[in-house]
Amino acid sequence: MFERFTKDARAVVSGAAAHAERAGEAVVDTDHLLLALLDREGSRASFALDALGARDRRDSIARGLATARRRGGLSGAEADALAGLGIDLSEIISRVEQTHGVGALAADSGGRRGRGRMRHRPFTNGAKKTLERSLRIATGHRDRHIGDEHLLLALLARPGTPAEVLAEHNVTYDRVDRVLYGEPERDAG
Amino acid sequence: MAEATDLVERAGDRDPRIGLRAVVALRRLAERLEAVQVRGARQQGWSWQEIAEELGVSRQAVHKKYRGQ
Repeated sequence: MFERFTKDARAVVSGAAAHAERAGEAVVDTDHLLLALLDREGSRASFALDALGARDRRDSIARGLATARRRGGLSGAEADALAGLGIDLSEIISRVEQTHGVGALAADSGGRRGRGRMRHRPFTNGAKKTLERSLRIATGHRDRHIGDEHLLLALLARPGTPAEVLAEHNVTYDRVDRVLYGEPERDAG
Repeated sequence: MAEATDLVERAGDRDPRIGLRAVVALRRLAERLEAVQVRGARQQGWSWQEIAEELGVSRQAVHKKYRGQ
């Protein structure tokens, strides 16, 4: 699959690993992919993000991702679902942080800290599924290569924090698809 | 937050999707809380055996899941 990745798509994959490394995390997750996508310049994805006004709001998007991480990786929709049961997630977070320190609930399983020097960082299941999805999306559009725009679409096609944070910044699958391919298209993944 | 209020209101309509989503969210939250508590217990010098007993699982299960933290 990787042999079909364009230079930009490869740069996103390696950039995601660099973001994980800088954050001291032992695994590469979907939010690292999004951060790496926002770093690109002169690529198809950066063109689409620019057209939707998202690249100027990079900091705001990064903050949104950080907030979700502090929530233990639970999405806004999940927080809402818990609220429906009368469970106030932000209250739980603040109590846990009072006892265990700020960011205690941040996704941190599998002993990632302390082993941060691992040379090769594995991708999470979600990140792997995103890469696979990008292949299907490219195929759906009859594109020969997998570009960073397909990675962006794949992130938007899957439920999770990146898609949610992007939606809060008016970046959705349909809007990106329209910017890139003209006419609106129903779920190409 | 208008959307959140919406969701809560629809929960009253017994949409199974809302209830199921809440269950998944609870599971994920419980997992995160467990990790935090196990880490805290270890920092206070608890043995894997003691932690396992409190969680009602085997020592091996806890150790396998959290060793290296």
